[in-house]
Amino acid sequence: MLLALVLLPACRRDPPLDWPARTPGSQRGGVLRLAGADDVPTLDPALGYDSRSWTFEQHLFETLVTYDDANGLVPLLAERWDISEDQRHYRFELVPNVTFSDGTPLTAADAVGSLERVLDPRTRSQGAEYYRGIHGARDFIAGTAPGVVGLAAPDATTLTIALDEPDPLFLEKLALLFASVVPAERARRLGDDFTDQPLGSGPFVLREWRRGERLVLARNPRYRRPDRPYLDGIVESTGVNSELAWLQFLSDEIDVAGIPPADFPAVRRDPSPVGQLVRGPTLWTTYIGLNCQMPPLDDRRVRQALNYAVNKEDVVALLNGRGVPAKGIVPPGMPGYASDVTGYPYDPERARALLRAAGHEDGFSTELWTQGSDLDLKIGQKIQHDLSAVGVTMEIKQVAWSSFLEAIRQPRTVPLFDLGWSADFPDPSNFLDVLFHSSRWDANNHTFYANAEFDRLLEHARTLPDRVARNREYLTAERLLVDDAPVILLYHPISYVMLQPRVHGYTIHALLPARFTEVWLDPEP
Amino acid sequence: MGAFLVVMAVVGPTLAPFDPTAPVAAHLAEPSPPGAPFYLGTDDLGRDVLSRLLYGARISLLVGLVAMVVTMAIGTVVGLSAGYFGGMVDVVLMRLTDVMLAFPGLLLAVALVAVMRPNVWTIFVVIGLVSWTGVARVVRSETLSLRERDFVVAARAMGASHGRILLRHVLPNVAPTLIVIAALSTSGTILLDAGLSFLGIGVPPPTPTWGRMIQEASSYYRVAPWLMAFPGLAVLYAVLTFNLIAYGLADQGRGAP
Repeated sequence: MLLALVLLPACRRDPPLDWPARTPGSQRGGVLRLAGADDVPTLDPALGYDSRSWTFEQHLFETLVTYDDANGLVPLLAERWDISEDQRHYRFELVPNVTFSDGTPLTAADAVGSLERVLDPRTRSQGAEYYRGIHGARDFIAGTAPGVVGLAAPDATTLTIALDEPDPLFLEKLALLFASVVPAERARRLGDDFTDQPLGSGPFVLREWRRGERLVLARNPRYRRPDRPYLDGIVESTGVNSELAWLQFLSDEIDVAGIPPADFPAVRRDPSPVGQLVRGPTLWTTYIGLNCQMPPLDDRRVRQALNYAVNKEDVVALLNGRGVPAKGIVPPGMPGYASDVTGYPYDPERARALLRAAGHEDGFSTELWTQGSDLDLKIGQKIQHDLSAVGVTMEIKQVAWSSFLEAIRQPRTVPLFDLGWSADFPDPSNFLDVLFHSSRWDANNHTFYANAEFDRLLEHARTLPDRVARNREYLTAERLLVDDAPVILLYHPISYVMLQPRVHGYTIHALLPARFTEVWLDPEP
Repeated sequence: MGAFLVVMAVVGPTLAPFDPTAPVAAHLAEPSPPGAPFYLGTDDLGRDVLSRLLYGARISLLVGLVAMVVTMAIGTVVGLSAGYFGGMVDVVLMRLTDVMLAFPGLLLAVALVAVMRPNVWTIFVVIGLVSWTGVARVVRSETLSLRERDFVVAARAMGASHGRILLRHVLPNVAPTLIVIAALSTSGTILLDAGLSFLGIGVPPPTPTWGRMIQEASSYYRVAPWLMAFPGLAVLYAVLTFNLIAYGLADQGRGAP
């Protein structure tokens, strides 16, 4: 998913089915107070594809399967499943007697309707791409079939899915929040308004959402685990930038905060006067996207030059070392990560030579769009300085997050933009395919990169059932991609979060944003 | 005081020990406190604060002075016309002035910058556009009394054109007041420029400005207070200087026969 802020807190485990007993010493009650700079873009799971939307969606909705701490798939709404010999037929048994938060029963028909809703072109879901392999999905998208033939609900708790081709990643795709089970009839009726009146089977319900002010979730009284969640509610205040959030944290007005660079050295030495410091694994890559359609960035040599010109070690230093300089797109820790992808070391001489070869010995002017947190601006200024050393003049344009997302989707509009991607499922395709396949121009390929050979490698890799063979193919594709340089590779962030001393049960997960089902608070004194 | 400011603005950049946009400190993300060779310390991007301050002086004073000229030009033309011609011209121009005054200056400036591309030239124009109203009012009231004076009436009787009367007879008599307002308005524009920079919509980086320096230092004020203190003192010094100049001029005006 798209990353809003590099300092954003992430993640929490939610062990399914063989629920652990109540955590020793845990307390029920209390409200977790959070803060964010911009509005949450959406609460409609068919539409959200960024860390802020997902943070709240996953508290309102449930998927059939989800991830455990070790990024393994575990049941959630599906109790168990069978996969046929030919890997093309899935049969899920849903947990019986689950209801949505208004008391209506959740059935397999809702699961069918939810997936059809994501595939329906009128929904304009970026998630549709993941489920096109379901048998009959293409006819449904083309409008030549009223429903998806491959999706069926023989009874209330049985869901069957047939695929056109075996897809080794299909279960992982069902763990994406796009595949959340929503009340299908209601969602159809509400259409675009579903985001304002979301209804799911998750541990929380939406209590209040005033855009620009705050978002409030309250405990779902009908949640099927009687002793969860511990919290009575979650309040997210909007319009609080990272600096202000830190001040609010210090004055005990919020419970979770990212740590500004100014304060990080002291906090790392001794967090105890302030709170608890939590560090967690991440599967993130941050980069400056280069619009491959806009001259002179349509020239590969120019894009390579920009990569050589930026000193990534310095960028990481600006983060107080909370990151690893990126050499490839696939982050360390992902299956298919290869440490021998070499990336672009800092080499301004080489950058100048490449610019000269491309006919830009006098440099050129361009513009970096950033969603403009304090830190983003500092990093932007560092890059601005690095580029000016090779003759490239770069202006910095600050834009709010939602306008930023809208702008980078438009062709030939944004030449440079700073962005990050966090893994949704543990497979290289989640970076390579999602961000750079030429069929994804209307989804997440904001660089408008297109390379037929790269596309061919990805399409071939997709069909390989053997993980090793697949990853080898993806590695070839990644090398090609890094050589084409549609992005300036920056770094892989390491996530640190500060918690108030009264917060317990908060851990960081690599694939999903913060989950608060297991979080509990010390009682108020 | 003023002389020192001018010296700073004119030769400051040549005195600056380092490139104001280059990271020169040994490490990033941890500002170093004042001490040789960085006499005012370095910021989190490893840039020398003294050099940035000296370069910033030029930008801040340039913006202050040019924006002042724009302010004075608009204000004088509006004020002279309204006061001299009276009638409908006066009504229309003064209601326009009232409308402009009804907007909070900083908010109007933010809105104007949002629709234009922020660069040095935009900032000149924007500050001029939001701060001319005070000048216009003062000039108008002076003109109102001047236009009834004998020498103006005489000039009109002799068939002098409106333009000639305004330029040769009215304007020179408004000038002493204008000079005082100009000095005052310079400190006003310097403050407004610092305010816009602080909000992140002033002269864009990498150009160092005092307002932006304060803004960038705001996250470090607990661990590196000098980052905020020096540009803050610089703004204070500049504003104080122009205010004192204005008071001095006003005193002289009163003492004159």
